[in-house]
Formats: sequence, structure tokens, C-alpha cells
Amino acid sequence: MRKLYLLISIILFASFLKAQDNNGARITALGNASVALQDVWSVKNNQAGIAGLKKPIVAAGYENRFSVKELSTQAAVFSIPIKDYAVGAAFNSYGVSDYREIKTGLTLAKSFGPKLFLAIGINYHQLKISNYGNAKAFSVDVGLQYMAFPKLWLGSHISNPNQTKYGENTDQIIPAHIQFGANYIFSEQLLITTEFEKILDAQADFKAGVEYKLIKFVALRGGISVNPFKQFAGFGVNYQKVNIDFAVASHPVLGYSPQVALGYEF
Amino acid sequence: MSFKTKLVIIFSLLLCSKISFSQQTEDPVIEYIIESVAANQTEDYDYSELIDRLNFYKRNKINLNKTSKEQLQELVFLNPLQIDALFEHISLNGSLVNTLEFQSISGYDLETIKNLLYFADINTPTGFENFSFNKLFKDGKNDLLIRYSRYLEQQKGFSSASNTSSNRYLGTPERVFTRYRFSYSNNIQFSLNLEKDAGEKYWNNNNGQTGPDFSSASLYIKDLRKIKKLVIGDYSLQYGQGLALWSGLSFGKGADIFSVVKPNLGLKPYTSINEFSFFRGIATQINLGKLDFTPFFSYNKIDAGLALNPLTNLEEISSLQQSGLHRTLNELKNRRRISQMVFGGNLQYNYRKLSIGLTGYHSNYSQDFAPGKSLYNQFDFTGNSLNNVGLNYSYTLNNTYFFGEFAHSLNSGVAYINGLLTSLSPIVSAVLFHRNYQKDYYSFYNQGIGEGSTAVNEKGFFAGLQIKPDRKFELDFYSDLFKFPYLKFRVDAPSTGYDIFSQFSYTPNKTTRLTLRYQFQNKQQNDDTPTFVNTLSFVKKSNYRADLSYQINKSFSLRNRIEMVQYHEENKANRYGFLAYQDIIYSPLSSKWSGNTRLALFDTDGFDTRIYAYENDVLYGFSIPGFQNRGIRYYLNARYNLKRGIDIWFRYSLTQYNNQQTVGSGLDEIDGNLRSEAKLQLRFQF
Repeated sequence: MRKLYLLISIILFASFLKAQDNNGARITALGNASVALQDVWSVKNNQAGIAGLKKPIVAAGYENRFSVKELSTQAAVFSIPIKDYAVGAAFNSYGVSDYREIKTGLTLAKSFGPKLFLAIGINYHQLKISNYGNAKAFSVDVGLQYMAFPKLWLGSHISNPNQTKYGENTDQIIPAHIQFGANYIFSEQLLITTEFEKILDAQADFKAGVEYKLIKFVALRGGISVNPFKQFAGFGVNYQKVNIDFAVASHPVLGYSPQVALGYEF
Repeated sequence: MSFKTKLVIIFSLLLCSKISFSQQTEDPVIEYIIESVAANQTEDYDYSELIDRLNFYKRNKINLNKTSKEQLQELVFLNPLQIDALFEHISLNGSLVNTLEFQSISGYDLETIKNLLYFADINTPTGFENFSFNKLFKDGKNDLLIRYSRYLEQQKGFSSASNTSSNRYLGTPERVFTRYRFSYSNNIQFSLNLEKDAGEKYWNNNNGQTGPDFSSASLYIKDLRKIKKLVIGDYSLQYGQGLALWSGLSFGKGADIFSVVKPNLGLKPYTSINEFSFFRGIATQINLGKLDFTPFFSYNKIDAGLALNPLTNLEEISSLQQSGLHRTLNELKNRRRISQMVFGGNLQYNYRKLSIGLTGYHSNYSQDFAPGKSLYNQFDFTGNSLNNVGLNYSYTLNNTYFFGEFAHSLNSGVAYINGLLTSLSPIVSAVLFHRNYQKDYYSFYNQGIGEGSTAVNEKGFFAGLQIKPDRKFELDFYSDLFKFPYLKFRVDAPSTGYDIFSQFSYTPNKTTRLTLRYQFQNKQQNDDTPTFVNTLSFVKKSNYRADLSYQINKSFSLRNRIEMVQYHEENKANRYGFLAYQDIIYSPLSSKWSGNTRLALFDTDGFDTRIYAYENDVLYGFSIPGFQNRGIRYYLNARYNLKRGIDIWFRYSLTQYNNQQTVGSGLDEIDGNLRSEAKLQLRFQF
């Protein structure tokens, strides 16, 4: 019974504010403070980040939100560098067969020297509710990353600035939001990343995350977001070409959301 | 005389006599240390013990080549990793020869080194070498201090109008404190405190009670062969993370994120004037190589309210009274009304970077504790005897210090905490800990860290981060999530909340410091809109603070603070609080006078938006008053060094409230909108 209420309230309220995106276990463990990070999962956050990757990478992730099976998301991402450019793709699916949101994205990123990355992305959104029908929409993302000082990256990202909707008959919105933040690499072992995010018609949020490499191929991560207050933790193992990341998010009322991701670097 | 004319007179007096004003603790180092650990404490906490301790080490410096972990932990500003690094350095390189060596020890920045050398040195003599009684009295230091203070306006409890003896204060309106210390090197200390609060009698002689209202004494002997410590008289015990046994001073969450890790100080003489939470009897710590054994026994009478149980026709304890105030007939009736016996022991094993402690004790009361009457205190302790056990550990592995404690009250609940403190890089450190305290875990000496003041009915996770790129900048940050699995006072359901804190400080040079602080707390409590059933609503509180201190010349420093509070309850208008002050501090290098003064304005929408601010006081005095409503606060401290070994302090303070006919409540009520206090203190050192 409790789960049912939870399910209803989350579908009604949470998804109203923000699409249920799976950001990958590394970024989730860092409190989702990803706007100034370079990761294959950047393709879902700040696309400019993939311009910093040297090799093609593919990754897939699964999240079980609040330990409720029906609230799970599946996601897959891919990126490939081609000279100064990088091309990326992302796929995200959320919900159950009676209610499903699918988001597919394509990205083109370019590096202007080693200090400046720019990117543009196009997303295709599909919403399917049984007995109600389907809705489709397109949205656009633009992102930027700039290394202001050695080791300090600044990032900025705008999502759906033209506020496209599913259509006249659908209340469901595709949120417009702006993010900016910084990522400071203290040493080979340690980085701290922050992000400020404002979703239009919703509250602003501040996020911060810490990644610490215990040994060369094992990283421990932690993060928080302020509004809503959530704590995050996770770890990653990078063995040769394979990456396994695990994360858990904790919400004071709704509980834990575990997440796992697997990546391969070509 | 109106407030304005008074103020004019005071100012003109100041100008005429060229009096000036000093740092109260007269010690910026000590003041800064206290403010950083005291950030979140309430106003009635007595830090005099810590000030006392730091002043003691300032005069009797710790010998770093012969010190112990415990002793260094007493200097609250060192974190466990720094302490371990020092011992590691000594074990690898031999005794410290030069203080410059500190710069090569990891974790010691210049400020820490400066602070440490303020209280410690590398070659101070140790006392029991060539000990004799002649030497004891020749080299021993005496310190006698007398403090007198009172409100200048009459409080209702003293007025002749309320002459029914049950409803008035029986004593005199002044507060008098006498403090005597004798110390011989670091090894022998005798301390005596006598105190009466405002409204108490100098000498009690009713109900079979005779003597001063509060007296406390202890004799402390240190490092006498196998006996590391021996205390006869009043003492405190502080073990592990404070779940099973911790009496006396303790810190909560604060600006110094490392202060959440409690130092395992063990046995200490009790020298504070808090009239609650100490042991009276005998305790000793005996060293047996890697093991330290501390047996203790205590018997004391404590204040309590009693009520008759109609079923058994026996008196039961309805509440323990911690205020230490015995002003009216009723308060005097409860004074030292029940007896308490506590005995037990602690076994501590230390081997290199590992330390494990085992604590067990039994407490027994002369009466039973009455069961709680409300639903929220259903699980409170009942009965008259309790057995507690606790196991605590700490271990340093590379750059990480692990700590924790597991505590159990026999036949009832458990409480545990586990955490770590780690330096992730030379400039970034982190503290994490998890806690779980059950609702039926009982300990009378429980000061475990958490949102509540005692470790009971709480679960939570704390994460803190400190970034200190160089001497100039420092960023502290923490977040804490807490859950209360059972009801609490004014919270009629299981509840949850969180606390976020961040502080940035910029110190461009030795005398200038800018601090910016933001804190946000979100908790649940009963919604006070009248409904059939109480429901919970979220209460959000934000605190903003900016503080700037700087020196204008060799004698004068200035300090400003602005603080704002925003308080939000669901479905209600926001409430705000505001406080701003200006301090002038006069501390010349060579003058018999020193002093300081403050003028503060406060404007708050009542109790929930009150703002606390640390105030300078006479030496060993300490106050963090909370300001509510609207008004002006002024104080002046002055110190005069009469001759070597004799100092005089004077303090005058005044609070004027706008649009108020009375100040205070109950018997403390004063007619008018003004409350002022004068304080005089004398110290003789010989």
C-alpha cells in the first residue's frame, strides 16, 4: 500500500518537475554535479564533456528508484572522438509498460583547443500512457566547458531553452533548465565538483560531489544535493578497459535508490 | 535616568578617563579556538573549563617529547590525524630537537604550529624529577580569583511586594564566584570552586543543609610512577565517542568540522561551575604497559523533583534538575534531594595507531525514576539502577583515522557510531560518520554527537569537508541527515530533517579575518494550527553571517558582524531576525590597561528567530546570550594590571528593549525596558 502511494505521488509530482533521467552511477554518486565533468555520461548532462574524451566509449546503466521496481530507469550512452569533434548518443527509458517515457539524444561536440569545449544536442522525447495514447516532442541542449586555470574546469549547460511541450493536450512538460558549476582537480587522486541548477517553474538546487581514488583503479565517491536534500555515495572500479560503477542515492523520506553502470573503452 | 543619558555619561566617562578595552580572554588564540568549537552550542553552556584548561597549558606548557595522545587531545584544535602524525614523527626520528621540525610533519600548517607552540614546547621540565615538599611550595603556583556580579535593576523575586516566602528569592541578588587553583608544574593541581547564583543564599542552613550553595574541589596528581592520573574529589570521565560515559564539556556540530570526532580524554579533574554532570569520589588511571586501567567510585547527592506514586505510596523521581539554581523554597527543597552512586572502570589498550577501550559502570539512585506520562517519553528510563557497557575504538591507516563506539544499557537498547576522518590531499580533509541510537538506550552520562543533545532515538549520517588551499583561505562544509524513529517533545510522530552548513574564511594577514557563514536547517515539528490530531510540518531556518575583524594600529582592533535569520513554518509568513554589532578592542603591548566594548543592535520576530552571539567577558567568564525582540545591547570590559600577579577586571553590560514594559519573566521580571549588569573580578597569582 505504501509503495502504491509512493508510486502515485512520484509519478504525479516528481516526474512533473523533471524527467526521470539516469545519469550514470559515477555522476549520480557525485550528487549529479556533472556540468563541468568530462565523462561518457556527460552526453546526458553537459554534452560538451565528451569533447574531452580520447577514445570511443560505450556504457549502460540501470537505476531502481526508491527500491520500487516500477520506478526503474534504463539508460545507454555512447561517444566517439573524430579529430576535433566528438559524436555522442544517449538513450533513456523510464517507467512500466502502462506508463513509459523514452528520451533519445544525439550530440555533436567540438573542442576549440584543449581549454574550450562546445556542444549541441537534439533530444527526441516519447511519452506513452496506456488508454491515453502517445505524445512526442523534440528539444535542444547546448553546453560549454572551459578550463579557466590549470585543474579548474567551469561548465555551463542549457536544456530546452525554447520550452517545447508534448503538445496542446498534454500537461506533461519537458523542463527548461540551466546549470553551471565548477570542477577542481586537486590531484591525481582527488576532484571536487559543484553545480548550480535552476529548473524553470521549480526550485533551484545546489549539488556537490567528491571523488577520491583509493588506488589507481578504485574510486570512492560521495555527494549531496541541497534542494531536495539528498545524499549520494558510490564507488567505481576501472580495470583495463572495463568500468563498473555503483551508486546509491538517499532521500530522507523516500529512501534509497541504488544504481549500477557498466562501461567499455575501445 | 533614561537610557540615553546613561549612555552619554558612560561614553563621556570613557573619553575623559581614556579607559580602553581588552580582549577578554585577553587572548585572541584562545578566543578563536573557543569560538570555532562553540558555534552551535546553546547559551547556558559553561566553557570556563576549556578556557581554564587552555590558560593552564599556556602557563604550564606541555612537553611534546613526553606527552601522551590524551593530553594533546585536550588541546581541542588538533585533529587525531595530526596527533598521530606527531607521534609517528617522534618514533621515526627520535625526540623533537627543534620546533622547525613541525613543518615537515604532515597535516601541520603554520597556524596549527603557531597554536600548538602556544600551549606546548619541546623541552619543558617534568615535575616529579627531583621532587620535594620544599620545592612543591616554592615552585607551586597559586591562583585566587573572586568574581562578583549583579543586575542593577530589581527583579520581582527580590521585591518586598512579593513577600510570601514561597514565592520569592530567599537569598541576595548578587552572584559570587570564588576560584582557587594550586598547581605544581603539570603534575599536581588542586582546585576549589565556590559559587552562589543570584537569589541564592551565601550559606544554606535549612532542611539539614549547611554550607555554601555550590562547592567543588579536586586534587589531581599526574605521572607518579605507574599512576598516570589520580583524582580525589570531583572529576569527570570522557570515553570514546560519548555514548556510554562522557561527563562535562563536549562539543556538537560546529564550524570546526573535526570537533565532531570526540577526543578520548579519560579521567580529568572537574573544575567547572556547572552544577550537574560530574562525579564526586575517587578515580585513578594506572598504566600497565600497553594497558591503562581506570577504576572509579562516586557518591553524590543531586537535585531532583519527587512525586508520590499513588499505587506504591513511594516517592519517585519525576525530573532531574540540571540548572543548579536554589533560590526559592521549592528549589531549595529539591536541592541535593536524592543520592546517586556510580562505580565502574575503563580498560584502554593502546598499541601504535590502534586503541581500544572497554567501559563498564553501574549507577544507582536512592529513588525510582517515574515512568513517563506522555506518549513521547514512554521509553524513558524507569527503575533505580542501571548497568552500562561500551566498547570504543580508533585506528589510523595511512591518511585515515577510523573511530567508533558501541554502547549498551543492559536489559534495554543499544547505540553505536562509526566514522572516519581522512585527509584526501594535503589541502582537502573529510569527516564522515553514521550513527544509530535506539529509543530505549539509557545512559546518564551520554553526550554522543547528533542533532539531539544526547545519543538516544536518532539515526543519521554526517559528511563534512574542509578545503584549505593555503594559510589565507579556508572553506568548511558539512551536511547532516537525521531521523528520529520515535516521537519527541513537540513532535508527535517519527520525524526527519537535515542540516547544511558552510563557512568561508579569508585571512590575508595575521590581524585580518573575514568570515562568511551560511547554515540551513529543515526539521519537522507539530503544526500548531489546532486540529483534531497533531500533524507534523516542516520548519526551515536559514542563518547568514558575515564577520570582519581587523587591526587599525598596534593597540586597536575593530570587529563587525552582521547576522540574519529567516524562519519559515509551513502555511505561515516568514519570520526574520537581525543582529549587527561593532566591537572595539584595545590591547596594547605594554600598558596596565586593556579592554573592549561592543554596541549591538538586534531586531528579531521573537524566540524562534533569536540570534546567539559570543560575548567577551572577564577572564574565565563566558557567555553566548541569545537575542530576541528589538533593542540595543552594550557592554564594556576593562582589565587593569595593578601589579605583578594582581589583576582587576570590570564589566558593565546593558540591554535595552524597545516597546517592552518588562524584561524577563516570572520572578526574574524587571519593571521597565532595561536590564544592566555589573561585574567585578579580582585575581591574585602568587
